[in-house]
Amino acid sequence: MLGLSLKGVSKSFGHITAVEPTDLSFPKGELTALLGPSGCGKTTLLRMIAGLEAPTRGTILLGGEDITTHPAHKRKFGMVFQSFALFPHYSVRENVAYSLVIGGMGKAAACKKANALLETVQLGGFGDRRIGELSGGQRQRVAIARALAQEPEVFLLDEPMSALDAKLREEMQVELRLLQQRLGITTIVVTHDQREAMTMADQIVVMSNGRIEQIAPPQEIYHQPANTFVADFIGKANFFDGIVVEGGVTVGDTHLTTQANFQSGSPVQIAIRPERAAMDDEGGANRVAAKVMFVRDLGPLREYHLQSDIGPMIVEYAVGETGPTLSTGDATTVRLPPEAIQVFPRAAPKSQAA
Amino acid sequence: MTVADDIPLAKPARAGKATQPFPIRRVVPGVLTTLIVVFCVAPFLLVLAISFGRKVDGAAWVWDLTFENYQRFFVGVLWPDEITLLYLQQLYYSFYFAVIASLLAVLTALPFTLLLTRLKRSTQAMWLVFILSSLAMSEVFIVMGWDILLSNNSGLPKLFRETGLTAWLKDVGWFQTLRDWGLANPRNVKFKTSDFATVLTMSYLVWPYAVILLYPALSRLDPSLAEAARTMGAGRWTVTRTVTLPSIRLPLLGTTLLLFVFLLGTYVAVTVFAAPEKHTTAVAIYSNVRGANLNAPFGATQAIMLLIAASTCLSLGHLLNRKAEGAR
Amino acid sequence: MRVFGMLYMGLVALVLALPIVVVCGAALNSGRSMFFPPVDPTFERFGEFFVSEPVWTVALWNSVIVATSAASLAVLMAWPIAYMLWSTGSNISKTLAGLGSLPFAVPPIVFGVGLGFFWAFTGGLGEIWAGIISHAILLLALPLVTISIGLQSIDRSLLDAAATMGATDQVAFRTVVLPQTVPYTISGFFFVLVLSFNEFIVIFFVSASSYATVTLQIFNSLRNGYTPTMAVAAITFLAVSILVFSAVARWGDLPRLMGADQTRK
Repeated sequence: MLGLSLKGVSKSFGHITAVEPTDLSFPKGELTALLGPSGCGKTTLLRMIAGLEAPTRGTILLGGEDITTHPAHKRKFGMVFQSFALFPHYSVRENVAYSLVIGGMGKAAACKKANALLETVQLGGFGDRRIGELSGGQRQRVAIARALAQEPEVFLLDEPMSALDAKLREEMQVELRLLQQRLGITTIVVTHDQREAMTMADQIVVMSNGRIEQIAPPQEIYHQPANTFVADFIGKANFFDGIVVEGGVTVGDTHLTTQANFQSGSPVQIAIRPERAAMDDEGGANRVAAKVMFVRDLGPLREYHLQSDIGPMIVEYAVGETGPTLSTGDATTVRLPPEAIQVFPRAAPKSQAA
Repeated sequence: MTVADDIPLAKPARAGKATQPFPIRRVVPGVLTTLIVVFCVAPFLLVLAISFGRKVDGAAWVWDLTFENYQRFFVGVLWPDEITLLYLQQLYYSFYFAVIASLLAVLTALPFTLLLTRLKRSTQAMWLVFILSSLAMSEVFIVMGWDILLSNNSGLPKLFRETGLTAWLKDVGWFQTLRDWGLANPRNVKFKTSDFATVLTMSYLVWPYAVILLYPALSRLDPSLAEAARTMGAGRWTVTRTVTLPSIRLPLLGTTLLLFVFLLGTYVAVTVFAAPEKHTTAVAIYSNVRGANLNAPFGATQAIMLLIAASTCLSLGHLLNRKAEGAR
Repeated sequence: MRVFGMLYMGLVALVLALPIVVVCGAALNSGRSMFFPPVDPTFERFGEFFVSEPVWTVALWNSVIVATSAASLAVLMAWPIAYMLWSTGSNISKTLAGLGSLPFAVPPIVFGVGLGFFWAFTGGLGEIWAGIISHAILLLALPLVTISIGLQSIDRSLLDAAATMGATDQVAFRTVVLPQTVPYTISGFFFVLVLSFNEFIVIFFVSASSYATVTLQIFNSLRNGYTPTMAVAAITFLAVSILVFSAVARWGDLPRLMGADQTRK
C-alpha cells in the first residue's frame, strides 16, 4: 500500500537552503528515522511533513493524494515535540483529550479514550495531575499519548528523547518501538543519535547539509556506508588517505590489498571499523606494525589507541573475544582484513544515494 | 522552538495560509491606526500648531503663523528694546532640578536594586509590592507627606527644635553653614522653600521608577561573570567597576534619561517646595494654559520647547552611547 | 557586607515609608488641621470621606469610574496591538506600539496640555468620558507591555502542537493563547487602574474644573490648607494599591512581569 512520499520537496529561507530537493518515501506501518547532525535540515523536513512549514517546491503525497497545501490542522499528523509542548494550563487528561474535544467528540467519550491511552503509556491514574508535577519521562509518555489520541495516519517525533537522561532514553526507545509495532502506524522520528535510530528504525535516512546521504536499513547503513560522511557519522571508523594501485591501495609506504575496483592512481580514502581490525598471529595480507599509545577499558569493550605505520588508529575488542592483552608502550602488528576495508573516492562531491 | 535546532533564522510560518481565520484582521489595524493617530499623535500636533497662534484680548487666542511666541521665549516680549531671559531661566531650572533629582534617584536606587535581585524570589515579590505601591502614590499625596514633614511648624524642624538638635547646631557653629545654604532662618532650620526639599521630593517621586527600570537588567546579570572575575583575583570593588557597571551601562543611562524627561514636567512638587524665582517651565505652562496668565499659545510654545529640550537630551544620550560603543 | 546591605535596604524602606506614614497618621486627627503625631485620634474622618461629605464621595465615585473605565479601555486597545506585534511582528504593529507608548514617555504636562486643546476642539473638555479616554491613552503603554510579555512567554511549539492536533488558528487562540495570557492581561488592567486613580496632571487639564476626582479635589483643597480628610483619601489609595499589587504578586509572577530573569528562582 502507498504510504507517505515526498517528490522534489525543498525549502529555502531567503538565500539559505535548508532542504535541497528531496525524493523520499515512507512505507506504510514502518518506522523511518531521519538521522543527521544538527542543522542538516531534518527538523525542517519533518515540519514540512507535519504542515507546519510550507515547502518552497515539491509535493507531498499521502496514499496517492496530494496534501502539499493542506494546513497542519487538516493533516492531523500526531507530533511529539522536542520540548513535548504540553499545555501547562491543562491537566494530563485534558492534554490527551485535546484533539478529541476540539474535534467535536463529547466530553465523556473523550475522557474515556484519554484514560485508555494513558493506560497504554502506563500512566493510568495520572489523568488529574498538572503537567508541572510530572517527570521528564512521564511528560514524554503524555506527549506520545496525546499525539496518538487522534489516531493519526502518520506519527511524527522530533528529537523525542533529547530531554531525557541517558538511561531513561534507552528504555523509552525500546518501549516506543514496541508500541509503534503494535499499532502498526507509519512513524517518522527525527534524531541526531545514531543509537536511537539503530534501535528503533526499519529504515534510516542519513542527512547532512540539507541533502540525503543514504537511505537504507540500519545494518546496511552500518556495514555498507555509502560515503565517508555516513561511515564517519554512524559508528566509529579509522580513516586513511591513499592512492589506488593495482590490486589495492597505497597508504604512505604501505600497500594494502582491498576489494574495491578503482582506476589506478585515483586518490581515495579508506575506512575500517575498530572492531574489524585485529591484532593476532594469523598470516595473510595487510599487516601493519604499531605501538600502543593508550588503552581505554570500557567494561564490555576495550579500545587500543595505536600509532601505526600508516597513522593513528583504534582497534576494539569486546569482552569474550579472544584478543591480546597489551598495555601502553607495547609493540604489536595490526591486521586489516581486505573485505573489511571500505574504499571511498577522495575529494569527490558527495553523492546522493538511493 | 523546535525549528531553532536546524535553522536559527527560520521564522515560524504556517503552511496553508489559504484560509483567512479572522476576516476582521483587515479592519482592526485600520481602526487601531486611526485611534492611535487621533489620540496619541493629534494632541502633540495641536500643541505645535497652537504654539504659532496669537493671543487676543481676554483669555482668547486665534490661529496664526507667527514666531512671536518663540521669540518671546528666548529674548522676552519687549525685544529688541529690552532682553529678558526669564523663560530661558525657567527652562534652566527645569533642567537643574530634573538633572540632580534623576541622578540622585538612580545612584541611590542602583545599590538597592542590586541587593534586591539577590534576594529570594518570594521576598523580591514582597519588596516589589511595596515599591509599586509607593510608585502609584499620587504626586499630590507625596508632596503632602513631605510638606508635613518639612513644614516649619511640624515634622523635622519641630523635631530639631524639640530634641535640642537646633540648639546643638547653633553651639557647634554649623547652624551658620545651614543658613548660608538657605536651610535655616534665624530661629530654626527650615526646608520650605529650598532646593533641597524640591530635589528630595522629586527624587522621591521617581525613585520607585528607577528601581523598576533597573530591575530587569540587574536581575539578568549573570552571577557567574562576577564569580569568574573573583576567581581571577578581582576584589569586590574591582568586580563592580570592571564587570558589573560596564554591563549595565546602557540601562543605567537609559533609566537616568527617562527619569530626567519625566521630571522635566513636575508640577506640584515645584510649586510647593521651590522658591518662586526658581519656578520651572512646567509651572509657567500651567499658569499660561490654566492659571493666572491665560496665554494658551505661549503656554503651547513653552510645552514645545520643553519637548524639544527633552528630545535633544535623549538623542544626545543616544549619541554619547553610540560613541562609547564605537570606542570599544 | 551583608549587614551593610540589609541596613541600606532598611534605610531605604524607612525613607520610602516616611511621608506615607505621616500622611496616614495625620488622618486620625480629630481637629480640622493636620498634626503629626495626631492630636486626639479619631476615625471620624473616614466617615466624612466615604459617607457624609458629598465633595469627597462624589470625587471618589468619579475616580472609580474613570479608573475602571480607563483600565478596561486601555486593555481593549492594547490587546490587538500586542497580538499583532507578537503574531506578525510587522512594521505597522511596531509603529502602533511605539506611538501608543509615546504619551507615557513624554513629560506628562505636555500631553496634558495637548489633550486639553484636543478636547476643547472636539467638545469633550470637562466631560468625564473624555477623561476616561485620556487616561486610557496615557497609560496604554502599561497593558501593551504586560500583554506582550505574556504573549512572548507562550512557547510557539504549543501552537504547533495544537495545529498538528487539528486546531485552527481560532481554536488555538481560544484554547492556548487566551488562557495563558489572562494573568498578564489582568495585571495590565490593574496597573492602569492604580495609576489612573493617582494621576493628577492630565486629568487636571482635561477635566477643566467641571468635575473632580480625588486627586483633583485634594489639589483644589491645598489652597485652604490640609485637612485630615485628605489624608484619609491617601490611605484609601494606598490600601487599594497594596491590595492590587499583592493580588498581582499572589496570582501572577510579579518578578517576571517586572522583567526578572525567568530561569533563576
